[in-house]
Amino acid sequence: MLFGLMETGFPLFYWGNALMIVIALTLIYLAIAKGMEPLLLVPIGFGMILVNLPLGGMMDYEMMLRAPQAGTVMEVSMNKGTGFDKGAIVCKLDTGEVKAPVFGRVDSLKVSKGQRVEQGQVIASILTMEQTNQAELPSRPIGLLSRIFQFGVMWQILPPLMFLCLGALTDFGPMLANPKTLLLGAAAQFGVYLAFFMSLFFGFSLTEAASIGIIGGAEGPTTIYVTSVLAPHIIGATAVACYSYMALVPIIIPPVIRLLTTKKERQIYMKPSLRPVSRLEKIVFPLITAIIVILLVPTSAPLMGCFMLGNLFKECGVTERLNQTAQTTFVDLITIFLTLAIGAAMPAQNFLQPKTLLVLVLGVVSFASAAAAGVILAKIMNLFLKEKINPMIGGAGVSAVPMSARVVQVMGQAEDKKNFLLMHAMGPNVAGAIGAAIAGGVFIGILG
Amino acid sequence: MDTMDWTLAIKTAAGGFGLVFGILMLLWISVELTRITLQKFFGVKK
Repeated sequence: MLFGLMETGFPLFYWGNALMIVIALTLIYLAIAKGMEPLLLVPIGFGMILVNLPLGGMMDYEMMLRAPQAGTVMEVSMNKGTGFDKGAIVCKLDTGEVKAPVFGRVDSLKVSKGQRVEQGQVIASILTMEQTNQAELPSRPIGLLSRIFQFGVMWQILPPLMFLCLGALTDFGPMLANPKTLLLGAAAQFGVYLAFFMSLFFGFSLTEAASIGIIGGAEGPTTIYVTSVLAPHIIGATAVACYSYMALVPIIIPPVIRLLTTKKERQIYMKPSLRPVSRLEKIVFPLITAIIVILLVPTSAPLMGCFMLGNLFKECGVTERLNQTAQTTFVDLITIFLTLAIGAAMPAQNFLQPKTLLVLVLGVVSFASAAAAGVILAKIMNLFLKEKINPMIGGAGVSAVPMSARVVQVMGQAEDKKNFLLMHAMGPNVAGAIGAAIAGGVFIGILG
Repeated sequence: MDTMDWTLAIKTAAGGFGLVFGILMLLWISVELTRITLQKFFGVKK
């Protein structure tokens, strides 16, 4: 208590909170000092700090703890304000114990010693920051960030809207000029399924494995969307893994490319100019893509529909106001809400689990194998193509747009100053975004 | 999960990857068809 007047966060602050704050500060340092995805890592890092300062309440959910069976209260093990881990005994009945199903703290106790309780009667009101399956453990968001998270992320509103903005920011021209690069974007999704399988071997459930695998799609909104549907309890880990590795693409992808290509292959020259793509092609593409993909994978409708709508805003030429809004103010608003909420989904009790470390490791595997698969397919395609493609552009199938393409450009320039690979790499880069959205929709369609 | 449904897992992975690949191939075909159609009926315009 502070001067006997109000509670401070110190009694509930533990080493886990301190470690999470250090991790958050590291992300913020990378963003500000090193310029790594600052628009994402600054709010994610700050959200992590906010949620790891106890009693702030910004990410609190209220849950009613109910008696699993009728009985008489023999002992109440906690007081108002007591913090507890998952599984802690809240009170003992003569017929059994009432344990906390989540970590959190007691908001108020509704029973006392000697009281008779019926099955389902409320024992206590508890506050938790844990994401729960609402069908099994219903909870009510009562904090600023928990409300944004619940109604923005868990209601699957913010991720598709972010995809709309990404569609408005995406130029499919390079891909349309050389549409075989769609295959390189498809190949990159191999990383998704490899990580999916590896996750199963490490003991994750099918839905958790899908949420981990989709990290390899290298699309933050897709990862958040799929995880919010299939495994919301690991959304913090998968989202921070995805966004962090997107920022680390210049470190992850080059070694993979160098390992899988020879110097001669990396020096394959690609003509700098692409076929001119007509405005009509760019207008028809999002329409046809939305229709085909959503008919085949209906569960991809929110992501793919919004993605293509945003792109149509950009290309049709008659919705310039909507296009400008989507590319500027709207994307910034969505980014603030989404990334702050994601950062706040990482309290220490949730994040510092062995499973989280595994998620982070599998996320790297997903990214690296996605790049590898793209490069390998490019090499296979070269066996059949008269005009060879530089296999490095396959590595840009990891759809961290446009970072992967820029990485390939830099690597290409290092091999041959006359080789400009950026626009060629943009093809698989944006194709990978489409592939990731489809992969996410397929996971939800099968496992959701 | 106490028991993993490996059949579902394999179907999800193989089917999912196949579906993604197949759809993107279909998109490739549709892009080329669109280009040919638009060039034939509208000519190439930037």
